[in-house]
Amino acid sequence: MPIKKLTVLALFTTLSLAIYAVESAIPPLVPIPGFKLGLANIISLILLRNTSAKDAFLVLIARILLSALLFGQALSLLYSLAGGILSLLVMALVTKLLHKKMFFLTGALGGLAHNMGQLVIALIVTSTPGVAAYLPFLVLSGILTGLFTGLCGEYAGRYLPKPY
Amino acid sequence: MSTKQKDKKAAIIISAILILSASLSLLCLLLPDRGSNAGDGYAAQIYQDGRLLYSIPLHDISESRTFTVENAEGGVNEIEVRPGSIGIISADCPDKICVRQGFITDTKLPITCLPNRLVILLRPLSDKAGDPPAPDVYTY
Repeated sequence: MPIKKLTVLALFTTLSLAIYAVESAIPPLVPIPGFKLGLANIISLILLRNTSAKDAFLVLIARILLSALLFGQALSLLYSLAGGILSLLVMALVTKLLHKKMFFLTGALGGLAHNMGQLVIALIVTSTPGVAAYLPFLVLSGILTGLFTGLCGEYAGRYLPKPY
Repeated sequence: MSTKQKDKKAAIIISAILILSASLSLLCLLLPDRGSNAGDGYAAQIYQDGRLLYSIPLHDISESRTFTVENAEGGVNEIEVRPGSIGIISADCPDKICVRQGFITDTKLPITCLPNRLVILLRPLSDKAGDPPAPDVYTY
């Protein structure tokens, strides 16, 4: 990997880690397990838009591992990995289908996929089928927060210079 | 088919998926609580690690009382039962989302403490179909 690319991706990892840290410091707006704004996803969307899915994936994995190391518990690592990887796969596919246009759709579908991944892990961890009652709430919040991060990613990406 | 038309088609399909799942979810959330017309009230079921620990008929409760539930790793949740409602009043988990969920009075959203793998949900007493096998402990 060229030094310039390495440096740029490290910078984006730092940025998403900082966003993640700030977001975890804010008390949750709605006391529902699994609800969050997912602002760190903006970085994934910027990278999907301006560079490649591979870069977005590398930065995502680095951010999840670092955040688990710095302020996580072992359990939150599992949730982040499931939600994050599923969401990025879906967003990479949508980015390709839409030829890097209409990022609010990419973000919304990514948010939805993220919450579904986390719900599946919650079902496995608690082994209580009753947890599925959160499904409609998590679908809605995933789409709405995803629309927001999608728009943020679109506008931030538009005004950033080509990273490398 | 030109690229532009393909783009449009993909966008329409994705929007349709999003709108459909969002409206279905909204419908589920707005739909009246199941069992709200069942006269005999709810049983609060407390699960840990998928095991039903307690089943408490809430209409039998005449005054509030509290008890604690501890999991295998020593995670503790303090639960308060009130006439017609149940909630977690303190917990040793890091996020305290279970405590902030407050007291529940219907079947819509269960209370969940993910770190301690504890789930509390209400089920209409008349609903026998969804009943799991007998709980470990009955409390009255």
